[in-house]
Amino acid sequence: MSCTKWTLLTLAGVTLQLIGLSLFVFGFFPVKPALSGFSGPESYNAPACDDLVRNRNPNEISRPPDQLRSLYQELSGIPPLFDRLILMVVDGLPAEFVLGKDGKPPRNVFVEAMPYTQSLLASGKAIGYHAKAAPPTVTMPRLKAMVSGAIGGFLDVAFNFNTQAFLDDNLLGQLFNIGWKMVMLGDETWLKLFPGLFSRHDGVGSFFVKDTVEVDKNVSRHLGNELSRDDWNLLILHYLGLDHVGHVGGRNSVLMAPKLAEMDEIVKMIHTSTILTQENDQEHTLLMVVSDHGMTEHGNHGGSSFEETDSLALFIGLRKQVSDYASATQNTAHQVDIAPTLALLLGVPIPKNSVGVMISETFDLLKDDHQLRALELNSWQLLRLLQAQLSELTCGNIPCNGVGDTQRSGTSDCNGSIEKMLCCLYMNAAVLHSSWKSKKVSESNSWEDYSNAIAAYDKFLKTASEWLSSRATDKPVGLLAFGVAAMLLSCLILSSLVLYMCREVYLVEKLRLSHPNDMHRWLLDETFVIGVILILVISMTSSSMVEEEHYIWHFITSTLFLLLLRKTAQLLPAGIILSEEQSRNCKFQICSISVLVICGRIMRGWHQGGVNWTNLPDISKWLEQAGSDHVKTIQLVSGCLVICFGLYSLSLFESKKIIIVVVGFSFSISGLLLLLRVLKFQDYKLASSSYGATLLAQIIYAVLATTTIGSFVTLPWLMPIRISNMDSNNDINSSSPVPSDVQYKSPWLELRDSLYVIGWVYILCWCVLQLLLQQPINSLPILLLLVEIMASMLYFFFEGQRCTGWVEVS
Amino acid sequence: MSITQAFLIHLICGVGLAVGFWVAHNVYSINLVSHPSHTLRLILVVETPIVILLYSCFRQNPDNCSYLKAVVRAILGLPVGALINTFGAIALGAPVGIQYLPKTINWSLLMSLFTFVPAASVFGSSWADWHRIFAHTKPNRTVEYMICIPAHAAIIGAWFGAWPMPLDWEKPWQEWPICVSYGAMVGYLVGIVASLGLALLRGRQQHNKGD
Repeated sequence: MSCTKWTLLTLAGVTLQLIGLSLFVFGFFPVKPALSGFSGPESYNAPACDDLVRNRNPNEISRPPDQLRSLYQELSGIPPLFDRLILMVVDGLPAEFVLGKDGKPPRNVFVEAMPYTQSLLASGKAIGYHAKAAPPTVTMPRLKAMVSGAIGGFLDVAFNFNTQAFLDDNLLGQLFNIGWKMVMLGDETWLKLFPGLFSRHDGVGSFFVKDTVEVDKNVSRHLGNELSRDDWNLLILHYLGLDHVGHVGGRNSVLMAPKLAEMDEIVKMIHTSTILTQENDQEHTLLMVVSDHGMTEHGNHGGSSFEETDSLALFIGLRKQVSDYASATQNTAHQVDIAPTLALLLGVPIPKNSVGVMISETFDLLKDDHQLRALELNSWQLLRLLQAQLSELTCGNIPCNGVGDTQRSGTSDCNGSIEKMLCCLYMNAAVLHSSWKSKKVSESNSWEDYSNAIAAYDKFLKTASEWLSSRATDKPVGLLAFGVAAMLLSCLILSSLVLYMCREVYLVEKLRLSHPNDMHRWLLDETFVIGVILILVISMTSSSMVEEEHYIWHFITSTLFLLLLRKTAQLLPAGIILSEEQSRNCKFQICSISVLVICGRIMRGWHQGGVNWTNLPDISKWLEQAGSDHVKTIQLVSGCLVICFGLYSLSLFESKKIIIVVVGFSFSISGLLLLLRVLKFQDYKLASSSYGATLLAQIIYAVLATTTIGSFVTLPWLMPIRISNMDSNNDINSSSPVPSDVQYKSPWLELRDSLYVIGWVYILCWCVLQLLLQQPINSLPILLLLVEIMASMLYFFFEGQRCTGWVEVS
Repeated sequence: MSITQAFLIHLICGVGLAVGFWVAHNVYSINLVSHPSHTLRLILVVETPIVILLYSCFRQNPDNCSYLKAVVRAILGLPVGALINTFGAIALGAPVGIQYLPKTINWSLLMSLFTFVPAASVFGSSWADWHRIFAHTKPNRTVEYMICIPAHAAIIGAWFGAWPMPLDWEKPWQEWPICVSYGAMVGYLVGIVASLGLALLRGRQQHNKGD
């Protein structure tokens, strides 16, 4: 096969792979057409009249808040039911804990832990819903879904750790526009999502999962003060403790019942201090207890099982008595329904991209015409969203002056394409509504007409919402399949190329060295490595394998080293007398492998990582208990040794002394600065708080950066073209099994020299950087890692080495 | 040594393992999961004399080496092999700690019995034979097959037996050294069958060559 053909095929394979990957990604994370902008006064008119409204009032949204509020109230025709809302988010609380499941009450432990909430439910003062959350069940997407009613894609997970401000239309923005004052206590995700919206806030971080007590105390400490003030309209409390309890001990943790009792105390406190005291009709406060997601048996979340999606929506203070316990607990809804429900209850337009349906039981307090009006508003909002996704959806002649075409009496059965069906359902509802209205004018309205209209609206809303949600989560199958097929094809091309190359290389080798035994021995290691790669690829599909991946990596690398030890032992003298040099080599190899194995074992014992065994004792915990002096000593010693080893490895390289000296000098400067920093500033708990420490760190950064970049840029040019003294290189690679790839060609040699030095510079700088950044306790593993790399370089075998290092250190 | 003898020896070894388990189950009513250390010791007590006494019959150079000498060097080989196995296990990540010590000792004695003791009693300190069997895996005679294949199989079985250990299934048998012991024993039994098969195959080939 010619070289050009070869290159072309490789290029084609790689391009195909890239194309397939991008197709797959676009298919898997589809960009949905979403409506931009914010719902304004136009949402109180039928969709067909949008243009009219927009022409009439171009900038109504920028009115002063009070005017906007009264405008909304006037346009909607529904008196707002509540003017204060307390949104209590209990992170990770499964609805099952409060409401039970399948008609059965929750477990006795949980019932006893929450006496007040259960009494509210039993007396009908509260109504709870199993609010089904959409995957991914991670906090930030769920918060977005609750306030905007939209279903985000899986791409949201990627942004969860670097939360950005939420720019889509949402409930909080709408409330802010009508002049609500907001207070937020709890998870700082809210602050990142809605910067500048809160007049007072106290955020707590959610990343330290082990803390189950302080994280909630930090929320509750302001609560008494806030409840006694009346300068806010919306109070958001986000309690993270329950989620943390789940992460630490799972659903049945012993900490769960006390945590639920704590939550119950807070519900009691809020209920008795705000809702029970407002007997006059001046102001109405609604307490909503919601959870963003549930949790599995082991306390994890993120997936789409019932346990994870079973989140809670509990309305307290609706001023409506539910007759019995069953009807207060056995309700289901969707998490996205919270947004339109709250919007209508509080008298703001429903956010534009909401796919939710208002929870109609919460509106039972309203008069009949107001209830129908609320349903109508929700339908209009969904219809707008539908029109954005289905361009053919015109729904004929929706009258925009509000007076229906009463001549079209009766309803029709709806079937056919999705556009026709949705349109027909909507028309049915609109017709029934207007006929009810006209009959009401003539005072002859009947209960039957009313319930018909409600049922028709419900049907339309349910269908539209389901279609929109499925639309948000389904994937274009064709695109995905095509992407996967392209990737498979390119894999085939590339692997056949590799196979072909292997065969050629083997043929060449066979010709050159006629040692069939050698070939056989080579194959043993290689088959092991190939088998391990296959096993790892397969194990990536199982979550329990990935959870403890570092153990598997350690296990495999150690096995590999032991196999190499065996391979070296094969070379040991067995009757055949080897030359002096050969036996020295052998001993050297055995020593380096033993060093590798021992270092690997110490590193494994250093931290108990992963999920299941973090509580077991390990060396780092032991050292930390022994005191900070020991840690400091270890840090100093490992810093010194890193410098020594680094200089030694650079000095192994004999040519062009000046460059090496320069590189080594800058490296040791940064190393010494690091030691200085350790000596001077380690006593501060947070080193970044002191100015001197920061400055020193910056200097180290600068030195390291110049060293690496400088060596990378200059070394290939400064390397002399040498044709003689190639012996110096041969002793570096003397233990390599295949040194034959470089056939004494000077350009190759030169390239390899510079690559060697650059590689070392990178490794050393990485070590110093890690020593700087990692916790002090981790400094010895870095040293061990360096030793491992050196030893394996001496063995000239890089397989999987660095990966373990990374996994174990992290 | 004939195939029949090999078959008998392997059968007796296998039965010895089974008897060890039976005694643990029915006499002391313990098992490997509930009392790993005790059970392993019981199996050891039953299996060690069987292996040592049987394999010493097939020592190399029976003229220069008495039966007693073979037995003694097998007994000496037991702790040495246990030491090597312990190092291997710890290098691969076996827990180090005072509460694991009895388990590790018993497990490595068992592994030594599977791997090291037969070779010690047959070969003694003949370095060339050790090297050929364990570094190159090149057995020639039937007795070498009987030593080499089960030993390698036991090690490979133990290696595979360690795979479920880090998983989050929360089963009691995921503890060190329960599943590893199970893996080693299963590997040993598979190795016994494989060695018999290979020896048979080799005998037939040589027979054909002889013809």
